[in-house]
Amino acid sequence: MKQGQMMRGADAVIKVLAAHGVTNIFGYPGGAIMPIYDALYGAPVEHLLSRHEQGAAFAAVGYARASGKTGVCFATSGPGATNLVTSLADALLDSVPLVAITGQVSTAVIGTDAFQEIDVLGLSLSCTKHSFMVTEMDELIPTLYKAFELAASGRPGPVLVDIPKDIQIGMLEYKTPLQERISEPEFDGEKIAAALSLLRQAKQPMLYVGGGVGLASAVDQLREFIDATGVPSVATLKGLGSVANDSPGYLGMLGMHGSKAANIAVQECDLLIVVGARFDDRVTGRLASFAEHAKVIHLDIDTAELGKLRRPDVAIAGDLRQILPALCMSLEIAPWQEEVAQLKREHCWNYDRPGELIFAPAMLNRLADKLPDDSVVCCDVGQHQMWVAQHMWFRKPEDHLSSAGLGTMGFGLPAAIGAKVSRPDATVVAVSGDGSFMMNVQELTTIKRRKLPVKILLIDNQKLGMVKQWQQLFFEERYSETDLSDNPDFVTLASAFDIPGRTITTNEQVEEALDHLVNCEGPYLLHVRIDDAHNVWPLVPPGASNRDMMEEMDKST
Amino acid sequence: MIYTLTLTLAQRPEVLERVLRVVRHRGFKVTRMNMQLEDSKIASLDMVVESERAIELLTNQLEKLIDVIQCRALTLEPVTAEKVTS
Repeated sequence: MKQGQMMRGADAVIKVLAAHGVTNIFGYPGGAIMPIYDALYGAPVEHLLSRHEQGAAFAAVGYARASGKTGVCFATSGPGATNLVTSLADALLDSVPLVAITGQVSTAVIGTDAFQEIDVLGLSLSCTKHSFMVTEMDELIPTLYKAFELAASGRPGPVLVDIPKDIQIGMLEYKTPLQERISEPEFDGEKIAAALSLLRQAKQPMLYVGGGVGLASAVDQLREFIDATGVPSVATLKGLGSVANDSPGYLGMLGMHGSKAANIAVQECDLLIVVGARFDDRVTGRLASFAEHAKVIHLDIDTAELGKLRRPDVAIAGDLRQILPALCMSLEIAPWQEEVAQLKREHCWNYDRPGELIFAPAMLNRLADKLPDDSVVCCDVGQHQMWVAQHMWFRKPEDHLSSAGLGTMGFGLPAAIGAKVSRPDATVVAVSGDGSFMMNVQELTTIKRRKLPVKILLIDNQKLGMVKQWQQLFFEERYSETDLSDNPDFVTLASAFDIPGRTITTNEQVEEALDHLVNCEGPYLLHVRIDDAHNVWPLVPPGASNRDMMEEMDKST
Repeated sequence: MIYTLTLTLAQRPEVLERVLRVVRHRGFKVTRMNMQLEDSKIASLDMVVESERAIELLTNQLEKLIDVIQCRALTLEPVTAEKVTS
């Protein structure tokens, strides 16, 4: 189609997507978005049909997070749009670039409680970075362009465009709007000097790495900063993969289920360099006692994060790819490096477990070693998610997709579908729990539909494990509604979707079963039964300081 | 603490909802408010808000809203505040 050509609004939507390099869309059709689905028919954009709009949007999130590209999803009005809400909230809290397009009833009947009408713009206010409802034909194309610009710029996030049916059907002349680039903040040279001065004075500096590093494509700059300074490091759940796993001073994840070495080192440090992170409560424990003797340098693209929870001594808003190189200098911190190395040796993980039963942390550690260079691991939420974060290792942040901020059960399977679409050559493994897996289990059909070779590792303790763990520790063992022993037969369930699988129950089966999972062609479900007595350790109890970690105290139930 | 806020907004049908949602969610109470359309594209909004929290926690979030063009805050002394809110 040429510039200036007359076309339906719906055709213009598809043309704008193509102009933004969109090759894959995830969605589910319905009444109010039918013109857009009609325009999609035969268009050179691939659409993957999910079986629930939440699954479609999570696939778009997985697509975006594994590739760095903006994810796109479609849903109809009313229930289609309300089903998107959880995924939009997930994308907001994890800063994922996403454009969601929803159909809406015609402008003439908006506000009359028409069939499948709900105020989607109103719904979107708390779960998107920004949102639009298009009410004029000539606003359609500029609005879509702006949506893509907003989703990916600054701190990325989800943007929703609600398009009434009459705007989809109406005719317009296609004109490419003037591109409005959103300028990124330029950082202040004086603050760099102040940060360098703090670095120079520090005897025990620690680097606290968050998801912002991967989002800014600043992994190389971060690693160069670590090489230049020798500063020891810890990462958040979203920061995993940013620091090279074999980096000598790297202590893994910090926080509620962080490694003991990571939490102790942060508590002991005299300078905390926070890069693309936001002092989340799962990271800090009791905020007032978090790294309480440390000065803070906070680097982030989002000014609103600077000073939100912890007052920084130096705060620099801007592009991490430019700030980090400006802070490279050599530091004389050998005694501290040795102290950190000692902590790392002292608190390394122990995978020895007596007995025949499968120990999930050991299994996941083996899986990480077996995965090829190009791999993506998608998690659900709960105990298995924390075991993945503790015991697997990742080459890049985009190789580990975990619902961090919102903690959404049901994230893993659809995110893995999206990841496989964006990185078709990668080995994509969805690690799930028996609770989470059932939350978007309908997406097995999406795998079947495209014969997507997604590998599923389902860790089953027949419990809503993380809630059960808290009931055991903090609610006097009153196990309210956390027994899942009436789960379906998962291997039979998978086979109904043409996905082969098997169940393993003992340690001696693990090696061969993992090899088959990783190396077999096509999708596969490995169902792993584990002892429900195993909990996630260590643990900082709610309201405690990160110094006061509870250590392993598993007992049979 | 009592603060006055002066905002310049891009005139969109939902812009007031956006601002009020952030004010509420970030822990501030509106005690007085006046909105005026300046022209077809710009609106101005003056508010008095109350909270135990520092006003930067609100203004930083308001400035992130795409339709907020400018946001200025002033902390009122208790005596002055009484005059404004009475």
